Amino acid sequence: MTRQKVKMAYIENESSRKATYKKRKNGILKKANELATLCGVPVGVIIDSAYDLSPEVWPSREEMDKVVSQWQRLPVMDRTKKMLNQQSYLQQRISKETETCKKLTKENKELEMKEVMFDCLSGKTSPSRIEISDLRGCGNVIEQYLKNLKRRIEILSKNDGASSSSVHAAATTSAAMPIVEMGSSSTAFSDMIRQQQIQSNMNQTVRGLDLNQQQW
Amino acid sequence: MVRKSKGRQKIEMVKMKNENNLQVTFSKRRSGLFKKASELCTLCGAEIVVIVFSPGKKVFSFGHPNVDCVIDRFVNINPPHPREHTDMQLSEAHRNAIVRDLNNHLTQVTEEFEIEKKRNEELKKKRKNRRMPENWWEEPIEKLTLSQLTEFKCGLKNLRKTVTAEASKNLQAIVPRHTFYAGSSNNAAFGICDDKGNTHTDLDVYNHQRMVAANTFACNHHNVIVPHHITTPFGNSITEGFAPEYNQNQNQLCFKQEHISECDHHSNHPPRFGHGYY
Repeated sequence: MTRQKVKMAYIENESSRKATYKKRKNGILKKANELATLCGVPVGVIIDSAYDLSPEVWPSREEMDKVVSQWQRLPVMDRTKKMLNQQSYLQQRISKETETCKKLTKENKELEMKEVMFDCLSGKTSPSRIEISDLRGCGNVIEQYLKNLKRRIEILSKNDGASSSSVHAAATTSAAMPIVEMGSSSTAFSDMIRQQQIQSNMNQTVRGLDLNQQQW
Repeated sequence: MVRKSKGRQKIEMVKMKNENNLQVTFSKRRSGLFKKASELCTLCGAEIVVIVFSPGKKVFSFGHPNVDCVIDRFVNINPPHPREHTDMQLSEAHRNAIVRDLNNHLTQVTEEFEIEKKRNEELKKKRKNRRMPENWWEEPIEKLTLSQLTEFKCGLKNLRKTVTAEASKNLQAIVPRHTFYAGSSNNAAFGICDDKGNTHTDLDVYNHQRMVAANTFACNHHNVIVPHHITTPFGNSITEGFAPEYNQNQNQLCFKQEHISECDHHSNHPPRFGHGYY
């Protein structure tokens, strides 16, 4: 299914070139036809080469005459606004693709930095082990994340209105101290979360034990 | 919408009904047609002109060597003047050289783009595979509860402190050339260097103080007390997050030593502290 990639350069081999010309010319005419039909717009194509006795005109000389007349009726500025030749066309494509590529590179870096951030949080690595050149990118990702967190917190706090008090109550009781005193132990964020869970489980069992003792 | 279309589908060769789709189709197909025309010229050295009118009556055209030249020939059916022939040949050669270079450049950019696309796919796949349900903070923000969000925020703030600290330590060594700003430039965690590599002089003062402090006091960061306590505002100041607070309690948010080997982001960097480094 994968074709051989064609190098975008003049084909040196005569017969190859001629064969390619014939195929591609037909292809272009077909595409032009589809465009004109599907969109109901006037389209005119002229293709000329050493391999043709006379230039190929599509759809026909008469139709092309009409298109050209319509074209010539337009003020020069309108005609040239979107006019392209090889040079301008290729330059346009180059700048567009460079732009898209840059955006993608940026996104990839952000994704990478996000992984680093997650690794730090789960204890797999630490900031001291981050590449110096990545520290900044990582910092930016953290900033962006914090921004989004704050925004989300605002939204939830606003929406919850009446019920927010109960949410907060639950947060303070179940999550106990960590929000304020997270620095007390030397553990990663992820370990701290797990400690909380263990703590809350323990609290429940202790309560259970107390009840048992009372029976005795 | 009845069913999601599975990839390309055969379409009828009649004028499209939906206006919006028609416009989109026009854009895409016109672009594709021009691409094919350009390729034909490059590969086979043909001369071509394509004139297309948009649904909005605007005109698009592509021509090689240029639109007017080929149109004129069509209209007048006049062969070029013999005297002009050599001049035309020269300018044509020059033109071809330029186009050749442009094509090479385009090929190069397209290849780089393909590489980035692949990398993008890999990264997304990696994230999908590494997903661990117990690490709830890795889930999209929308799925977190308010209490989770608050905890997460705290954890991230602490992380930001360490990262900022690391950056401050290394500022003298390297000035990062590439910038990828996830957020607005105002919120840059490291305000020292802007996009053009200029150093902000006011921040130089902080940097200087930092260096002085580091040199004056013991290198063991557990005991460092910075005389100038620069509080970090959480607003949009350019110094946000830049000057970290050093406490006696360096153990604010540390990372398990035993897990560090799992993910070595910077293998050349020697581990600096024994335990409880943050």
